Amino acid sequence: MSIETTPSHKEEAVYVYEAPVRLWHWINALAILVLGITGYLIGSPPPAIHGEASAHFLFGWIRFLHFGAGYILAVGILLRIYWAFVGNKHSRQIFLPPVWRGSFWSELVHEVKWYAMIAREPKKYAGHNPLATLAMHVMFVWVIIFMIFTGFALYGEGAGMGSWQYTLFSSWIIPLFGQSQDVHTWHHLGLWAIVCFVIIHVYAAVREDIMSRQSIISSMFSGWRTFRDDKPMDDPH
Amino acid sequence: MATIQTPNGFNLDTSGQRVVVDPVTRIEGHMRCEVNIDADNMIRNAVSTGTMWRGLEVILKGRDPRDAWAFTQRICGVCTGTHALTSVRAVEDALGIDIPENANSIRNIMQLSLQIHDHLVHFYHLHALDWVNPVNALKADPKATSELQQKVSPHHPNSSPGYFRDIQNRLKKFVESGQLGPFKNGYWTNPAYLLPPEADLMAVTHYLEALDFQKEIMTTRTIFGGKDIHPNWLVGGVPCAINLDGELAAGAPLNMERLNYVKSIIDRSLEFVRNVYLPDIFAIGSFYKSWLYGGGLSGQSVLAYGDIPDKANDYSAANLLMPRGAIINGNLKEVHEVDLRDPEQIQEFVPHSWYSYPDEKKGLHPWDGITEPNYALGPNAKGTSTNIIELDESAKYSWIKAPRWRGHAMEVGPLARYVVGYAQGHEYFTEQINRTLTTLNVPVDALFSTLGRTAARALEAEWAAEMQVYFFDKLMANLKAGDSATANTEKFDPSTWPAEVKGVGFTEAPRGALGHWIRIKDGKIDNYQCVVPTTWNGSPRDNEGNIGAFEASLMNTKVEVAEEPVEILRTLHSFDPCLACSTH
Amino acid sequence: MTETFYDVMRRQGITRRSFLKFCSLTAAALGLGPSFAPKIAEAMETKPRIPVLWLHGLECTCCSESFIRSAHPLAKDVILSMISLDYDDTIMAAAGHQAEAIIEETIAKYDGNYILACEGNPPLNQEGMSCIIAGKPYLEQLKKAAEHCKAIISWGSCASWGCVQAARPNPTQATPIHKVPGLAPKPIIKVPGCPPIAEVMTAVITYILTFERFPELDRQGRPKMFYSQRIHDKCYRRPHFDAGQFVESFDDEGARKGYCLYKVGCKGPTTYNACSTVRWNGGLSFPIQSGHPCFGCSEDGFWDKGSFYDRLTDIHGFGIEANADKIGGTAAVVVGGAAAVHAAASAVKRARHKGGDSHKGGDN
Ligand code: HEM
Ligand code: HEM
Ligand code: NFV
Ligand code: SF4
Ligand code: SF4
Ligand code: F3S
Ligand SMILES: [Mg+2]
Repeated sequence: MSIETTPSHKEEAVYVYEAPVRLWHWINALAILVLGITGYLIGSPPPAIHGEASAHFLFGWIRFLHFGAGYILAVGILLRIYWAFVGNKHSRQIFLPPVWRGSFWSELVHEVKWYAMIAREPKKYAGHNPLATLAMHVMFVWVIIFMIFTGFALYGEGAGMGSWQYTLFSSWIIPLFGQSQDVHTWHHLGLWAIVCFVIIHVYAAVREDIMSRQSIISSMFSGWRTFRDDKPMDDPH
Repeated sequence: MATIQTPNGFNLDTSGQRVVVDPVTRIEGHMRCEVNIDADNMIRNAVSTGTMWRGLEVILKGRDPRDAWAFTQRICGVCTGTHALTSVRAVEDALGIDIPENANSIRNIMQLSLQIHDHLVHFYHLHALDWVNPVNALKADPKATSELQQKVSPHHPNSSPGYFRDIQNRLKKFVESGQLGPFKNGYWTNPAYLLPPEADLMAVTHYLEALDFQKEIMTTRTIFGGKDIHPNWLVGGVPCAINLDGELAAGAPLNMERLNYVKSIIDRSLEFVRNVYLPDIFAIGSFYKSWLYGGGLSGQSVLAYGDIPDKANDYSAANLLMPRGAIINGNLKEVHEVDLRDPEQIQEFVPHSWYSYPDEKKGLHPWDGITEPNYALGPNAKGTSTNIIELDESAKYSWIKAPRWRGHAMEVGPLARYVVGYAQGHEYFTEQINRTLTTLNVPVDALFSTLGRTAARALEAEWAAEMQVYFFDKLMANLKAGDSATANTEKFDPSTWPAEVKGVGFTEAPRGALGHWIRIKDGKIDNYQCVVPTTWNGSPRDNEGNIGAFEASLMNTKVEVAEEPVEILRTLHSFDPCLACSTH
Repeated sequence: MTETFYDVMRRQGITRRSFLKFCSLTAAALGLGPSFAPKIAEAMETKPRIPVLWLHGLECTCCSESFIRSAHPLAKDVILSMISLDYDDTIMAAAGHQAEAIIEETIAKYDGNYILACEGNPPLNQEGMSCIIAGKPYLEQLKKAAEHCKAIISWGSCASWGCVQAARPNPTQATPIHKVPGLAPKPIIKVPGCPPIAEVMTAVITYILTFERFPELDRQGRPKMFYSQRIHDKCYRRPHFDAGQFVESFDDEGARKGYCLYKVGCKGPTTYNACSTVRWNGGLSFPIQSGHPCFGCSEDGFWDKGSFYDRLTDIHGFGIEANADKIGGTAAVVVGGAAAVHAAASAVKRARHKGGDSHKGGDN
């Protein structure tokens, strides 16, 4: 997958991303891609098609794909959270950034400096670096939870009062936002929050793959983190 | 205290007993009225106050002009559509949008149905109890009532003695329940009520019949606009697309079935007005024809903008089926041109209104209008700012602004329209007026009175009911000719608009001349000002001290029982005051 | 509600003697003579109609206008046979202090047993005097009537949510009934809509009278029976929505075929009301059937969500106004641009350190 395939590193590879995490990552990415595109189209539908209404279901399909992907996303997150309990220590990182640790913040500062091109060299991590951890926690975990909650609140409106989606989500989320239209708006804004995350995320993955001291992209395929030098690891754990 | 003479010719004397009516009921919205009566119970000073304000003009700033119709429609749920129509006309005027012929016919039918509905409901449900005593109806002989009914309206089917007996029994049961509901605490023993029991029973019966029928009249608007109250309108035309025989016509807003429905309602409305409303006016009027108070400004200064364009998009007086013009100083021989764009003609003043202007000696043309609330009582007011006992009319005393036409306080409304039409020789109106004067056997001066106002409204309902038929036929003819367009959406997208434009829209609302002035800047409303019929009629004094139409009409009226001023209600009601409208 | 009004009066300590006196005074006030008094007494003892005080605040009276359009039951039957509409300034015969006296009388006689129907809402700005009743702020009348009522019905979007006068910037600080400071805590039934459907209004009343209980309400206080579904859920244009057949502009081919109005701004998918099921004016039509999109008139704050003709809601903030796509799209472009700039800077940095940095690049 990348330049890291040449065996030039000086240290043993570490198994970071277990198979369920990797599988989840790519299914999740795909679901979000589908949700993003279909969601956008729900907001701004394609030009009308003519003919018997009963012969078409275009918008129905767009929405169906959205809801299908929404379920996959939600179930995926649930399983991923389960895996955070039973998986290795890296599997917990994005859910529990160690914000109570001073070292987390100082390393975060270092990481910011690295990105600001002030620090000459990045630190070395087997798992996520602190900046990535924080970004994933805030811009991914919470935003996705937000999208799932608002998404199911909207879904429950169609499923109707009495449906579990309505009872669990719509019944309190809609009054919380004021009215349904506001939930739509915030859910729609969430799309763009996720787009921003993905842009940053993919860019950072590619950049770090080239510029940092460890393998990045291939790790999300193989699970193994490989390194380009033998300096000690900076991971706090 | 000395009397003051107002520039428009009234002698105000505040020395007598001050009588306060607050709330004035059986009107739309909230209103207060104070009068001074002399030792002979004659009204010598009148103060009318709009007691509510919502700030629609403030709220409209920065909004999408295409939405303004819906906001302004909520100025009033009684004359609902007329504001919406005025608003879309203002926007279309600003942007130079022409609407299709069909849209014009449909809009006219909607506007006419409002006139009929509003007039009918006003007469029976807001005004009638000033003349009709429901309790007295219990004493009526149903058989005699039946005879009376057959005499005044031979074609009305509901006229048997049994029918009236049933209604009377129902009324009896109601009264015997001791729970009088809306009739509670009325002035039922007041000598001002003059009808014999049979006429009372007939009128009460029609109160109920009209209550049932009014809900039919406006169903044309339900078809064209989807619901009534507050039907839907559209800048550029009407929302209801027409599909007569194409694919999926059954699902179209307008198709043959819907048009047939409209037609049946139009026919029935005309029938009801002819068989019930007009005969009742004549019957009741004949008992009160010597009560000729309340003329006020009607014989002196009246104003109409005109409405109901025959052809689409031509708002010149010649194309308007309702007359336009201004009469001042009682000179019916000269009808002045009215130009809503002329900064010298229509101006609003606020020295006696709860608003502030940078310079309150001057009036502002609505395009430059300002709406800035400023609630405060004058130094001579009695009570406190939140517990008014008596107002001080020498200071600010109303939420209504004071619009003036070339400095004149004007009366607007059905009577004003009929006076202008009569002065211009409007054939239909003149025929109706003459018929009325002959039937009641009263001189032409009788027109300028409380009763004249009430009669003009009924005559107008008849005219409107006929015009509905005219525009329905016109719509069908145009459809037959192959034109089924209902909206022009060329300039619907705000990105196609010039950076800065202004426009004015007007209608003849049920209560009179209505105008909306709009300025649009960068696709948004920069300023929006409404000058509404009840703003004209209910206006407080202006910078010169001219009193408005309500106040003028109350002057020199005799009140039989000061504690039960039914006469004040009669005359105020004859304007069909709408306070939500007046202040907006 | 099963008590007769005589029972109520007795419970409030009014003696039979003063009750009978009340009955003959009523008869006298009507000019009917003493023979009517026993009949009134009998009626009061046996056939109660629930008293209703219908107060008007800042509003447009369209809720009343809607009410009288009820086809089943007819408004006339509601007023003559079901309720006792003791105060409603739009139609009541009495005026001035005689009108205001009715409120006092009703409170005295039916304390805790009448329904307070609110149309419109009270303003809090201008000392409350942008809505004056009998020389005082409407707020006072409202609070007093609420204090002694059994329950409140909030008619329409004004009473329920605030409606047009509460739209930004709400110059009078018009406040919906349930948010009025200091209002007695009474059950509130919201019947939103601008106006509400006539038959829904009368159905709420007849439900209460017939079943002698208040209808089940949702979390926002609306009767579930009429407000548990969106317009969209039962819209007859729904097959066109699912098919992707939309009206693109008014009076286009789609408009004439009755396609879905979603793209011209229909708020049916976010609006809880019975328009697409009960419909208007005796079931004749509803906004969408006339070709106009629903603009959500029964929803909280529907005036402040941007143009009625836009699919996406306007968001106000920081003095700008834009929809989610404009805001989000701008953010994405900024982020993408920043990433591109950052990438370029990184490439420059990498080029500068070319060869000299042992930590970069696996193969040097
Ligand atoms: C990354 C996650 C998601 C994204 C980016 C996303 C995006 C969107 C967008 C942009 C819309 C259009 C909103 C509008 O303008 O009205 C939408 C609508 C919707 N989404 Fe999502 N969504 C996501 C997750 C979900 C989930 C998990 C569900 C739950 C099943 C869901 C259910 C819905 C529903 C029900 C609608 C409304 C559909 C309609 O009105 O016809 N979404 N989504
Ligand atoms: C919708 C798109 C995507 C989302 C929402 C997403 C989300 C995530 C999340 C939440 C993680 C953390 C995994 C964990 O610790 O559990 C992660 C890691 C990762 N993702 Fe993605 N991802 C997306 C697309 C991609 C793409 C397209 C690539 C490849 C170019 C990619 C490459 C990676 C890599 C390499 C990691 C591991 C980072 C590290 O080692 O620190 N992701 N992603
Ligand atoms: N005044 C007034 Fe209206 C009317 N007619 C509006 O323009 O009533 Ni509400
Ligand atoms: S809710 Fe709407 S219709 Fe009812 S009074 Fe308020 S503005 Fe009028
Ligand atoms: S017209 Fe409106 S309510 Fe009907 S299906 Fe389309 S979006 Fe839904
Ligand atoms: S605008 Fe209102 S009337 Fe019904 S269809 Fe929409 S809720
Ligand atoms: Mg104005």
